[in-house]
Amino acid sequence: MSPDEPAPPGGTAADHMRQALAVLATPARPQASTYVSDLLVGELVLLDEVGYEPVDLVAGAGSASWNPQIASGPGGSDAWASAITSAISTARSAIDREIRERSADGVVAVQLHMDRHPANVLTCTLLGTAIRRRAASRGASDHGPRRPFGTTLSARDFHLLVRAGYLPVGIVTGVAVVAFAARSLTQGLGLSRENRELTDQTAALYRAREIAMGRLDAEARAYDASGVVDVSFSEHPFNSVLVHAVELLAIGTAIRRGPDGHRPILPHLQLALDDPPPGVFTHG
Amino acid sequence: MSSTLPNGAGSEEPDGAPAPRSRAHRPATSALSVADAAALRRLGLEAVGFVLGTVVLQVASSVGAGTVGGPYGTQGWYGGTGAAGASGFTSYPCVHVMGFGADHWGFNAEDRSYAASVGSGYATAVARLTEEARSLGAHGVVGIRMDVGDFVGGWSTWTFRATGTAVVIRGAQAPHEPFTTNVNGTHLERLVALGLAPARLVSGVGACYVRPNCRTRGDLMAPGGVDQIPQAVGVARNRARATVREAASHSGEGVVQTDWTDRRLPAWGEGWIQSAVALGTAVRRFGPRQVPAAPRAVVPLRP
Repeated sequence: MSPDEPAPPGGTAADHMRQALAVLATPARPQASTYVSDLLVGELVLLDEVGYEPVDLVAGAGSASWNPQIASGPGGSDAWASAITSAISTARSAIDREIRERSADGVVAVQLHMDRHPANVLTCTLLGTAIRRRAASRGASDHGPRRPFGTTLSARDFHLLVRAGYLPVGIVTGVAVVAFAARSLTQGLGLSRENRELTDQTAALYRAREIAMGRLDAEARAYDASGVVDVSFSEHPFNSVLVHAVELLAIGTAIRRGPDGHRPILPHLQLALDDPPPGVFTHG
Repeated sequence: MSSTLPNGAGSEEPDGAPAPRSRAHRPATSALSVADAAALRRLGLEAVGFVLGTVVLQVASSVGAGTVGGPYGTQGWYGGTGAAGASGFTSYPCVHVMGFGADHWGFNAEDRSYAASVGSGYATAVARLTEEARSLGAHGVVGIRMDVGDFVGGWSTWTFRATGTAVVIRGAQAPHEPFTTNVNGTHLERLVALGLAPARLVSGVGACYVRPNCRTRGDLMAPGGVDQIPQAVGVARNRARATVREAASHSGEGVVQTDWTDRRLPAWGEGWIQSAVALGTAVRRFGPRQVPAAPRAVVPLRP
């Protein structure tokens, strides 16, 4: 059987496996275009179900450095937070460019990594599988070029999101860096006998959160999003002799409701009889 | 590198007799979970043995050989054009107004020797695993796991270890070349349901030597956007991706389940080798998509 004349559907899984082996025994013809995807096969099935196909693995990277002493000085410039934001947005534009070059619609399950080498140089790398809506699944509302979307949501969550009537519009971030005063000498040396709140540091975290969430909201509004999902917070302390500051990064996926509005998904309760995840029996 | 083992390796008999290459009379071993074994059974596949391919390599790098700007390399300190063998060379001059000196100048150079060396490690381990599967009369190897690290040896040695479970269809003739895949049994069942056959495990490696300039080193007097690191990451990733695609284009229509590893390996001084490794399964269409009915959303009643 040649790959050009696919067998009609039907038969058992074992029949299909035999057909697959028969095709593998024939020499392959070099393909003009080949996609690369980091998705699991199950995730491909889920994407297929909502009408998307993989296009290619796409990546982007951005990097920036800052001077912590100037950036967090009294009266504070925001150069530090801007540097981190610019590293992320450089990476985002790079991955957007790769998506456009491949005429894909967006990228799912983006792996986002932040590296610091040294402490005042941050590199943001993004990697994910670009996907395209299959021609057969394109509706009347799909026409026209659109800004490529990106999301850190897994293919499974993307599947659920699309089924529920939403689409991701982009990865949104909010970065804040807030400096605080050094502790007293005895506190710094661990010799203090007082059990008291470090109010300056608590306040710095609260302030950082307000600023970061404000910036996250502003980015989501710029995307004209209905909301942001999968928001995660990460704090990163920076303590040197001269500089005491905390960085806070909020990151999430902005989503927009589709033209048909929300479609409820009613989940069924199910007791699975396959392999339980590790730890279920050991901790039970 | 050949898929045959060095002299003495792989001998299983204590008296030094030649190792039996067939394990037909032994019980089959496997690395399968219960769910994977059940899925393979539904596909008509049966495990015949746990197979392994290992190679310990002295990894060669252009940096170590001095062709890409080692301390006494042929590469100019001040960003001359690339030396022989160092393609993809980009210079990053000092960003200070008055700055001058070795610490201020940097460059990126794609390290093809390193990528080829690490790439051959992956290829050899998989070739040896395939050879072992072939000696068992297997149709394929599923759930291949690749472990790379410094398991034995020392500085600049890498151990590549591929393990997987060889499978057969009873009564069918063994193919010349068993298929190899990092897809496990459960996912193989879904792959076949999509009308795709696993062709073979493909790998791609990319590497770029980075000698940081002042801004990339984090010089406090020259903060700003750093181009050098994203460029190096891009060079390494593009090479790995292109190698995988090239390998796959000869045996399939695409690559699924690509496992991606970015590494930053220390090199001379403040320099490093930015490396990227991609490992996935090339797939080939054998029939139409046999996609099941819309998946049902469930809430598992499980702790």
